[in-house]
Amino acid sequence: MSERNLPGLSFNEALDQKLAQANWSRREFLGRVAAFGAAAALTQLLIACGQAGGSPSAAAPTPTPQGTTTAEATAPPAPTPVPTPEDKLFVYNWDAYIGEDTVAKFQDKYNIEVTYDNFPDEATQIGKLQSDGKGGGYDVSYPASTWVPSFIQDGLVQKIDHSLIPNLKNLNALWQNPDYDPGNAYSVPNFWWTTGYAWDPRDIPGDLTSWAELWDPSRKNKMSMLDDLRECFAAGAFRLNLSPNTTDLGELDQILALLEQQKPLLRFYTATDQITDMVNQVVEMAHCWSGDWVQMTYDKPRFKYVIPSEGSIKGNDVMIITAGAEHPIAAHLWIDFNLDPEISAASTNYIGYMGPNDAALPLIDDYIKTDPRLNPPQEVLNELIELKYLAPADLAQYTDRWNKLQA
Amino acid sequence: MTSAATPADIDTISAPARESLPRRSAAAATSVLVLPGVLWLAVFFLVPIGIMAVISLGAVDPSGHITLANPGLGNYAHALDPDFIPALLRSIYYALATTILSIGIGYPVAYWISRYGGRHKVLLLILVMLPFWTSYLIRTYAWMVILRDNGVLNGFLLDTGLINEPIPILNTDVSVILGMTYGFLPYAILPLFVSIDRLDFSMVQAARDLYASGRGAFRHVTLPLTMPGIVAAGLLTFIPALGDFVTPSVLGGAQTTTIAKLVQNIFAAGRDWPYGSAFGFLLMGVTLIGTLLALRSLRREVIGAGV
Amino acid sequence: MSGRPSRWLTAFTALTYVFLFAPIVILIVFSFNDSRRSFTWQGFTLEWYQRLLRDTEMIGSLKVTLEVAAIAVVGATILGSLLGLGLARLRFRGSGAVQTLLLLPIMTPEIIMGISLLVFFSQLFGLNGSIGQIALAHITFCISYVAITVRARAASLDPRLEEAARDLGASAVGAFRHVTLPLLAPAIAAGAMLAFALSFDDLVVTSFNTGVGSTTLPVQIYSAIRFGVTPSVNAISTIIVAVVSIALLIAWRLGAFRTAARAVIADPEVA
Repeated sequence: MSERNLPGLSFNEALDQKLAQANWSRREFLGRVAAFGAAAALTQLLIACGQAGGSPSAAAPTPTPQGTTTAEATAPPAPTPVPTPEDKLFVYNWDAYIGEDTVAKFQDKYNIEVTYDNFPDEATQIGKLQSDGKGGGYDVSYPASTWVPSFIQDGLVQKIDHSLIPNLKNLNALWQNPDYDPGNAYSVPNFWWTTGYAWDPRDIPGDLTSWAELWDPSRKNKMSMLDDLRECFAAGAFRLNLSPNTTDLGELDQILALLEQQKPLLRFYTATDQITDMVNQVVEMAHCWSGDWVQMTYDKPRFKYVIPSEGSIKGNDVMIITAGAEHPIAAHLWIDFNLDPEISAASTNYIGYMGPNDAALPLIDDYIKTDPRLNPPQEVLNELIELKYLAPADLAQYTDRWNKLQA
Repeated sequence: MTSAATPADIDTISAPARESLPRRSAAAATSVLVLPGVLWLAVFFLVPIGIMAVISLGAVDPSGHITLANPGLGNYAHALDPDFIPALLRSIYYALATTILSIGIGYPVAYWISRYGGRHKVLLLILVMLPFWTSYLIRTYAWMVILRDNGVLNGFLLDTGLINEPIPILNTDVSVILGMTYGFLPYAILPLFVSIDRLDFSMVQAARDLYASGRGAFRHVTLPLTMPGIVAAGLLTFIPALGDFVTPSVLGGAQTTTIAKLVQNIFAAGRDWPYGSAFGFLLMGVTLIGTLLALRSLRREVIGAGV
Repeated sequence: MSGRPSRWLTAFTALTYVFLFAPIVILIVFSFNDSRRSFTWQGFTLEWYQRLLRDTEMIGSLKVTLEVAAIAVVGATILGSLLGLGLARLRFRGSGAVQTLLLLPIMTPEIIMGISLLVFFSQLFGLNGSIGQIALAHITFCISYVAITVRARAASLDPRLEEAARDLGASAVGAFRHVTLPLLAPAIAAGAMLAFALSFDDLVVTSFNTGVGSTTLPVQIYSAIRFGVTPSVNAISTIIVAVVSIALLIAWRLGAFRTAARAVIADPEVA
């Protein structure tokens, strides 16, 4: 896990040093800048430096003999009487999208039997959750945040009882009130990611920064793009200085034309094989998500990743409790457990995706949290755009063009 | 002398030579044999598909739900877009190539097992199936290992000096057809075996004497007699191959998209079940008409050939 | 009666078996590869087997897959064989329609079949997936394969054989059991093997019919590729191949195949 391209500017170096001393990530710092203004943030930073190194976060709540939650131990002043959890929990999540031991630790701690099912793609996940209108039999799932508004409207998710999730306070301030779900009433942010592309510096030397690199004819048959229509259209949109959420038909046609120029140069479109194919040198450059790049580096540490300068996508997913959940108490415990700093950090360290959990930051591996590509600096953060949920009529315009592109 | 000889028994190609039992036992026999399967398909296939057919007339409302407020054939018209034709043609090409190869490879193998397998016949058949009791995905990844530019196949060819530079096989039409043929081979071999095995080889011997050549015996005796098996193998290969989008995705590339993948895109990325269903039904309709036409022309050809 | 096979035919057949098993050999080799994703050999390790033993999800999904396959094979073989025989033997009104009906499941794009069953079970019956539901789905698409395979064989059976048995005093059922069934046995067995392979490896239709705790192996494996299939999948496939091979070896030694083959070999008197 060597070779990280930290920018070489002196301001950045100095800032990094300070941040390292305070045990903050850039993201955390910039979060505070955004929230409180530069001066206040700098002051806080210097104070934190004074407390050299920062202290490890509060220990995880320990179970009481009855196995009930220990909200009392970690501090909200008025301990509410907590109901006894059920003895089972049904979770529906991506595979390997959680710490290696998280499920086992949860089961040990609370004596709740967890059935942890996976799905192969989002269409299956959403189809299952929506099938009976209340969650398809599962208690907890992890949809992308863009689904939350429509889930709320459809009554597919239930309100989250914040009193059962004391660890919510661990969330970074920016994530306490997202616009897809004000106040996190129905969802709790899970992990977030950026989109960019990775490449093999042995085949492609130099520092790449633009989306245009994926259109370079000299790399014919050596590149791949994500098999994701929104992501591909976003890449095209950024190159043309358009919004990746555009619904203007003229703009969509422009993007389509650009993508059609690219298609003959591509080896394939994939949303699942980009890691394997890069590692095995089937392609030299791959459009991918930030976590994919981290996974690639486990095998090939030399690979590089960039969030392109024209702009890119950020996204996050959330934990929700379904309306039809048969084990709601256990579900709340699960969410609380996953927000625990150690558990959250273990997950991030294992899968390479950052979470919005401030308390977990000190425990996250350096190479993840100090990396501006996984934890981008202010100017890039500002430009990162979320893919908004598109109304069906608009999405249809995208789908048609995507199908015409692929046909 | 033997019933297997009559061309009339060639299944689905000809109708006559079925027994006409007295009416009551015919009805009873039909019920026992055919009704359970038909009922099952009616309940667990026709009804669900019927629901989808109804859905295909609907649309998605602004909140993302399926609505039947304005039923119509709009989705079907939408699917009849000429821009999608390349994908359709590509699918047909892959499916045809796969079928021809599968039958071409499967027939000799089935013949060998049937004729020369002796008491190991069953074992040999099971061995044909054995690779397919592993994971499809891993088999396909194994093919990637073999076919990559610096993979097993190219390595072998380079080492033996047959080529000077690696041949790019992966992510092309070739790798797709190869992968699909591999996947469908057992679905060809088994029905072929079942039909060939019924063949009386003494007849082939006699025919050889009569026609004074192996080729003549094959063309005029063996082939027509095993036609039911060939037809079955063809059906069980071509039709599913037309709908296979996984193999072309994994072993194929950006240029090998199939029509089934477009259907997939509409459901998955487009979240439009009504449109996707319409598209799928259109595809089914085309396949059905094509298949029925092919079977009918085959029937005409075989009877015309005369035995 | 069986002459010597031509050398080319034998070589061709042998080569086909090599073709069939080449990826299997590769996957077995890579189950011992000391690398998570690499397609090149990095060294020997038993790590993936050790991981597999701890991977309760994978093992659980294998169990589910086998249960589903067992139910599906039995159901599809019975229904499909009866259907195939009926179509081949009897002429009845609507046989053309039934033949077309048989072709429809094979023609249906899997995602449509999967979603249609999802809607059917969840909206009409409020069911959220289970082993039984998956098995029902599998039977539905396997029937056609069995029926078409059996029909191909039944079509060339002489109905007069059964008639002759009836003339000699057998009951309808008896004639069926002692004459028709044995002659159809290889086709039925072939159909069953096809059904098993279809059920075992099915992904799309299954993924829409799984329920809590009833994921099948293909769905589990496919769910894993997003973040990386580890060679544990190779390990489990290797174990399956190994177990089946050992079972075959035992059966072979016990002469089971000889008995089966005797039933399969075309009876020379019926010529």
